[in-house]
Amino acid sequence: MREFWQRYRRNKGAVVGLAVLAFIVLIAAAAPLVYPASPWEMAGAPFQRPFGEFPLGTDMLGRNILSGIVHGARVSLMVGIVSTFFAVTLGLALGALAGYFGGVIDDALMRFTEFFQTIPSFVFAIVLVAIFRPSIASIVAAIAVVSWPPVARLVRGEFLSLRRREFVQAAVVVGETHLRIILGQILPNALSPVIVMASLMIASAILLESALSFLGLGDPNMMSWGYMIGASRSVIRQAWWMSTFPGVAILITVLALNLVGEGLSDAMNPRLARKGRA
Amino acid sequence: MTEPLLSVRDLTIDLPPGSDRPHAVENVSFDLHENEILCLVGESGSGKSLTAAAVMGLLPQPSVRPSGGELLFEGRDLLKLSEEEWRGLRGRRFGMIFQEPMTALNPVMRVSDQILEVLQAHGEAGGEDRVTELLQAVNLPDPERLRSAYPHHLSGGQRQRVMIAMALALRPTILIADEPTTALDVTTQAQILALIRQLQSERQMGVLFITHDFGVVAEIADRVAVMQHGRIVELGAKEQVLEAPTHDYTKRLIQAVPTLDPPERRPLDRALTVLSVKGLGKTYRTAGGLFRPRRVVTAAKNVTLSIRKGETLGLVGESGSGKTTVGRCVIRLIDSDAGRIDFHGVDLNAFRGRALRPYRKRVQMIFQDPYASLNPRHKVGDIIAAGPIAFGTAKPDAVKRAQELLSLVGLDPSVIDRYPHEFSGGQRQRIGIARALALQPELLIADEPVSALDVSVQAQVLDLLADIKRRLNLSMLFITHDLRVAAQVCDRVAVMYQGEIVEQGSTGELFRHPSHPYTRTLLDAIPGKHWRARRA
Repeated sequence: MREFWQRYRRNKGAVVGLAVLAFIVLIAAAAPLVYPASPWEMAGAPFQRPFGEFPLGTDMLGRNILSGIVHGARVSLMVGIVSTFFAVTLGLALGALAGYFGGVIDDALMRFTEFFQTIPSFVFAIVLVAIFRPSIASIVAAIAVVSWPPVARLVRGEFLSLRRREFVQAAVVVGETHLRIILGQILPNALSPVIVMASLMIASAILLESALSFLGLGDPNMMSWGYMIGASRSVIRQAWWMSTFPGVAILITVLALNLVGEGLSDAMNPRLARKGRA
Repeated sequence: MTEPLLSVRDLTIDLPPGSDRPHAVENVSFDLHENEILCLVGESGSGKSLTAAAVMGLLPQPSVRPSGGELLFEGRDLLKLSEEEWRGLRGRRFGMIFQEPMTALNPVMRVSDQILEVLQAHGEAGGEDRVTELLQAVNLPDPERLRSAYPHHLSGGQRQRVMIAMALALRPTILIADEPTTALDVTTQAQILALIRQLQSERQMGVLFITHDFGVVAEIADRVAVMQHGRIVELGAKEQVLEAPTHDYTKRLIQAVPTLDPPERRPLDRALTVLSVKGLGKTYRTAGGLFRPRRVVTAAKNVTLSIRKGETLGLVGESGSGKTTVGRCVIRLIDSDAGRIDFHGVDLNAFRGRALRPYRKRVQMIFQDPYASLNPRHKVGDIIAAGPIAFGTAKPDAVKRAQELLSLVGLDPSVIDRYPHEFSGGQRQRIGIARALALQPELLIADEPVSALDVSVQAQVLDLLADIKRRLNLSMLFITHDLRVAAQVCDRVAVMYQGEIVEQGSTGELFRHPSHPYTRTLLDAIPGKHWRARRA
């Protein structure tokens, strides 16, 4: 673990990304303490410019934009993490089965995966959310459903190659069960690229959620960054700050996640990383 | 003596900081003369390949760089050349052959075009005719037809011939060969060695030949330099080094090369038959696609063999002979299509999946690659205890047993909490053996258990196997391509060729009086066989 951190630390960008991410998580966790009032409530006069009474100004209904961003961080991170968790779990399960057993099982599972991949993911997510009514649960589910196929393909590839390794054959020979071999022998060796992919998936899930909210398909009870941009887009020429600050929040969060993902990738494949940097 | 072609003086090559030693190569000096083959011999990590790379200016700089000494060639110090000047020398004055003929050729370019490219890159005229001439010179059959062939049309030996043709295209004065026959089968190896020898004397070249195999040294060298830990410990004429080595390390290395004289063995005719394979067959079929025809490869055909209690049966053959397939069929890693595998009279082919489990315990396997056969994420103790735990032994008991096994295979029981990457190749193979023994099997299948190991380590692992086999009265199916190893280890030997067993008999009989022509070819091709015969 210590060695891992040593390698991670070598990538300066990744350390910055991790720090930023930690800060965002902290803000999200502390949101009710910083701004106990609901972000939907009117806090002052509408259309106040930033750096005045309110650090980032107010929107057209007089809601505090900074409060919205702080509370929105909770929604964004929650949606990103939960949907990625489900997507990775599903992708791992299907990819592992397909790669380990091969043959007909592999064919069936991969055709199933391709079925999901042929539908453009954003359009698919819109359809799902629209059918199941916009709510936080349907948004998380929709994002998970559109983002698991790449995980399944990645895991399947890893399993296909690890399956042939001698240590797996040795496990077969000493009589381990399929489940034990999948979970105990192969999975730990296949996990590093999945972890890297997951960190990047959180970023794209946050973007997807923002895009859905922008289109008005967000959870009506949850203040989210995408909703803030979407709601204020019509007044962007009079009040640039209303859409700009949530946009910057998305940008910073996604960038931090990408940096962390890259750092994880470097730390987990030390040989590749050194080659890339030489 | 004439002026040397190449003179290496006190060459020192640094390793990146944090490596296990500061210098890869330390104060290495030797001369390479016209019309001679100088062999650099050493085990892995001895610095022999880096020395060759330095001579070619191909060190992976800047992480590994020469820090001292000089390489004198025609009055110039090669270490001081610019990349530009190097390009003029490489190919034209220095030719190089690499170990892996599979990857050294561009797979999407025709063979003749690749040779032509070498000529054109150096502005040589007369391309097409020269290519044909070169293909003839390396004894490739039907050079005209070969001109349109792609690398995947050629066998490993043929590719290595193409590599040699490319290396010789510009008539270099020095040829550097880095383990050029290591990836080849013995019969092919013998041909390539003869070819290098022949071309060398025709062209009066100086050849720097890197190898780990003393048999090859005996076959090809004029002079020998033995390397250990980055230093040359002994340098001299072949006869002197091989017959009367002075340095301890050289003596040890030569001692470790197994002899071709099988020791006397007590016959086991009375012992119980443990395994009896009858008419085993296995055919691989690649699934045909819409535009692809099916491909059918017969890996094993009508294989019949038996092993008695306490007996070691050697299954020898070249790559693609089907010996590994037979081993994996017997242990049921793959399903065979035909025949019976009787283990104590019960046909294992009748079982599948869960029903096989009781037999898994009694037949175990030792794998070839000690780096791939241990899960890098598991601790040594868990690896050894996995089998007993899978069969319901309580964890503390299994761990205790793992400790006992570790001391049985000559490792300290305290290493139980370490990960595989902390061990050397030989130690890992010991762990692999301990894992196989954990279930107290009656039959061991050893698939090339020592072919990935250095010769001195190989000897230790073979001793360990012999010792354990005797103590536990195990039966063993020993799969190997190395006839020297087979001669030392096996009671009986079966020779496989293109999926069939062509000859089977007691080791002594088979080595002294081979009856099948293929067995004779195989025995004839063993590098350095006359040297060992003289020594014994």
